[in-house]
Amino acid sequence: MSTTNTTTAAPARTSAASSTKVRTFVVTVAIVGVLVYCICLFFNLPAFTYHPAVNRVELWWGPARSGEGPAMYWYGWTVTTLIVSPIVGFLATLLPENVGKKIPLVLVWLLPIITIPYLIWDLRQWWFHP
Amino acid sequence: MDLISVPTWWTIWMLFHLIVSVGLLGALTHQAVAVMMPVRKVAGPVGFVTRFRAVPAPGYAFAVCIMWVITFILGSYIYIKYRTYIRIPIEQAGYWKTQGFFDFKEHVASIGLVLLPAYWFFWKNAQDPEYDTARKVLTVFLCVACWFLFIVGHVLNNTRGFA
Repeated sequence: MSTTNTTTAAPARTSAASSTKVRTFVVTVAIVGVLVYCICLFFNLPAFTYHPAVNRVELWWGPARSGEGPAMYWYGWTVTTLIVSPIVGFLATLLPENVGKKIPLVLVWLLPIITIPYLIWDLRQWWFHP
Repeated sequence: MDLISVPTWWTIWMLFHLIVSVGLLGALTHQAVAVMMPVRKVAGPVGFVTRFRAVPAPGYAFAVCIMWVITFILGSYIYIKYRTYIRIPIEQAGYWKTQGFFDFKEHVASIGLVLLPAYWFFWKNAQDPEYDTARKVLTVFLCVACWFLFIVGHVLNNTRGFA
């Protein structure tokens, strides 16, 4: 029996899915998104702080207050990332096509991999907690 | 009278989170195996592993994106209850590494989210050799990330669930 491979078969490209501007946008979003998330984490820059015990949202960073339970920053970091990276991605699409095409694709997969050791380091308080 | 208790409410949402994540895990695993070990030509009867690899991988990309987003939204929702009802007792019990792995999980989930547009684009252009390496590595990265998220979530639920 002989079977033709279907694994690499791809649907026909549409103009939107293969345009240079879309490529620039998605590549920029991936690169900037990972960077922005790490920067948010490092400098603690949430778009907002959520206090789940009292169901209160506070703009930007806010401390956990006595009697109000813990403060959650992850939502804020993620929202910051989801706002900033598409904006930068859109701005990148305004660049000349030859400039957009020069954004190295390798960063799309290399940055997330490099981020993993950084995240492990960032969480060291949990690994080495006495 | 409440129809369901508060713990049951959150457990139901966690089960939805689990169910969608299982679909995501299956799709990403199929796709990652297909991209790493593509079936070129099969002579003779095909076995389980070959069938597992011989899926039409590009067709999974959109579903993976949708399932990642849904799983992410459901996880974000149950995180509200997790933060007060589960994390505080975990900290009180001194399970610091378990807590660390949860924080790791939330970061990985967010990073995966911003990679989805590029992942979708690379699969939409699967016949373009320029994107081959990026598509393969990104797919395997998302697959490994998804397994990590799933296992950490599972262990955390075993440590202390909503019920």
